[in-house]
Parts: sequence; C-alpha cells; structure tokens
Amino acid sequence: MTTHKSKNEAAVVKQLRSALSSPTETALAHSRARVRKWFAEAAPLIQWGEMSSPLGPLFAAVNQRGLCALDFGRRENEFLARFDPLARLEKNPKALARVLAQLREYFAGDRSSFNLLVDISQLTPFQRSVLDVACRIAPGQVWTYHRLAKELGRPRASRPVGGALARNPIPIVIPCHRVVASDGSLGGYSGGTGLDAKRWLLRLEGAL
Amino acid sequence: MALRFEELIERHHDEIFAYLWRLMEKERRDGASDAEDLVQDVFLRAYRSFAWLRPDSNPRAWLYKIATHCAYSKLRQIKDRHHKLSSLANSVEELGAASDGVISRNMEARVRSLMNSLPVRQKACVTLRYLQDLDYPEIAQLLGCSQESARSNVYQAIRRLRRLMEEEK
Repeated sequence: MTTHKSKNEAAVVKQLRSALSSPTETALAHSRARVRKWFAEAAPLIQWGEMSSPLGPLFAAVNQRGLCALDFGRRENEFLARFDPLARLEKNPKALARVLAQLREYFAGDRSSFNLLVDISQLTPFQRSVLDVACRIAPGQVWTYHRLAKELGRPRASRPVGGALARNPIPIVIPCHRVVASDGSLGGYSGGTGLDAKRWLLRLEGAL
Repeated sequence: MALRFEELIERHHDEIFAYLWRLMEKERRDGASDAEDLVQDVFLRAYRSFAWLRPDSNPRAWLYKIATHCAYSKLRQIKDRHHKLSSLANSVEELGAASDGVISRNMEARVRSLMNSLPVRQKACVTLRYLQDLDYPEIAQLLGCSQESARSNVYQAIRRLRRLMEEEK
C-alpha cells in the first residue's frame, strides 16, 4: 500500500515538475546582475591588499575615508573576518598602492612617519582620543602608558589607555608600539606576533 | 569566518528567484518583472535585518521565510486590487474560465492551473518541498508552522493533483 502510494506520489511530483516552469538562464542572469548592482551601490566598499613584510604577511584595507585596518603575521581569513559582514570586500592592490609603498619604505628604514588619511570612526571617542595622542610620539621615542594618560588629561587612566591602544585597528601607522610600561618593560602588544613584533619595531626606529 | 552578506547573494539568489518565479506563476505575464522585483525586495529586507540573524540560524531558511512573506504580501495586494475592480474581475474570471476550458486538454496546463488555484500556503508548501527540495523541518521553520501542518498542506495539494491525473486517464 505504501509503495503504491509513494509510486503515485512520485508520478504526481514528476508531472508537477514538468508542468511548472523554471526561470530561464537569461532571466536568472538578469536578476542576479540587478541584485549585485543594488548591493554594490548599497554596501560600503572596503578594498584590501597584502604585502610581505619582515613581520610576516601584512594586510591593509581602505574605505572611502582612508586606511581603516592593518594587521600582520595573521592569515588572510583572520584579517577579513574583522570587517562588517554587510560591507563589500574587494581585493584591490591598486587602491592600496600608496599605503603599501609607504609601509615598504618604513620597513626599509627610509621612512619614519606616514602621510596617510586614516579612519578610526568605528572606535569610541575615548579610544580615538588615545590614538590621536599616540600619533604625537615621535619615532625613536617611547612614552609610558601613564604619560599618555597625563597628556590626555586623564592621569589615572593608564589601564583604560592600555585597553584603547590594544584596540588600535591600524598598528605601525598609528604607533601604539611606542607606548611602554612605567617599570621599563615593554607592556603589551596585540599586533602580529605580540611583544616580539613590538620589540622589532622599536629596534627599527632606534628606540631600543 | 562569519557569513558575509555578499556570499548570501552568490549562494542563494538563484534558488530564491526560482521559488518566487514559481509562486508568482499565475501573475506572470511577459517576462519576469514580478519575481525580479520581489527577489530584490527580499535581499533588501534581508540586508536591513542581517545584523539580527543569529550565528547558529539557517540563513537559507531565513531567506525563504522573507521570500514567502514578500510573495504573500504581493499576492494579497493583487487579490485586493482584483476585489476593488470586482465588475472587471468578474469578466476577467469568465474569460479565464473560458480559456481554462481551452487549455484543459493539455495536462501540463491543467496542473499549472490547479497549482495556481491552490491556497497560497499550500502552493508555497508544495513548491518548497518538491521544486525547491527543502525538507519538512526547514519548511516548518520558515513558514512558522508545525511539520505536521507543512506535511498536511503538501498532502492536500498532492491529493488534488493525483485526482486530476486520474481524471485525465
């Protein structure tokens, strides 16, 4: 009985599939192109590129406002996972040419500071102010977390300052590696290989 | 790595479009404009609420759910419009009945016609099960009903189609 029923049902389904049309490939392609076009216009564009560096593979990304992310010593998918899933990601080394050129000069010892537009608008006002102050530390110098907190007008905020530096989305360009602990140790560093990378950068700049 | 919205478009656009195309079969005249407009609306709505999609949820079923809502609301609009133009609609019905009589010699046309006469929910269930190849837990999830209800809707539709085929023999 069950076999008869399922046989019957299979025949009905077969008939159903043949009777109901499927969209043509042209209709599908047309609609696909229309949805992709809408998405390209609606979603914020993030263009990214990569280069090799003494600290391992280095990835950088720009949006409409400027350089918005940089990381090194990680895998590509780890870098890309940080972006808003609603954004449109596009690998475009040309869009990153200026950024990557300045980074190459920096690693070669031919550049000590960067001339780039950056976007840290995703951070809180406090985090942004910490990174703004960090940009005032000259190459070859180091400040303590306490000094940075004082410069910020929040002398008791050394720990939150450390937390804000750890969220720096653009290490190296925003030189959070130039901030060390008051006891003379390096403190922390969340970029690439951690403290080894921080030590390497400070040596490159002649601060160690 | 978290699912990106553009992957959702690349993976599921075609099947969602095909689903809407089939649900809007009766309303389609020339070309695919209804299904095209609807699929764009589906992805727009999905884009706006993507942030609320839980990481452990099924994005494919979620898109089907949005698509079903969009199609229902479009079909309801069309039905309301027909009601408002009742006198015109009556004559359209008569014309439709006459043309149905002509095409009923063709089995495929009769199956199509029967599918189009099914209640929207039954049509959605049978399309999801046998044309989009979703399983009952997925259908129940996206239509917000029990699996039994989804099975029952499919069963009713299949029974009607089977009868039609038997009459044809």
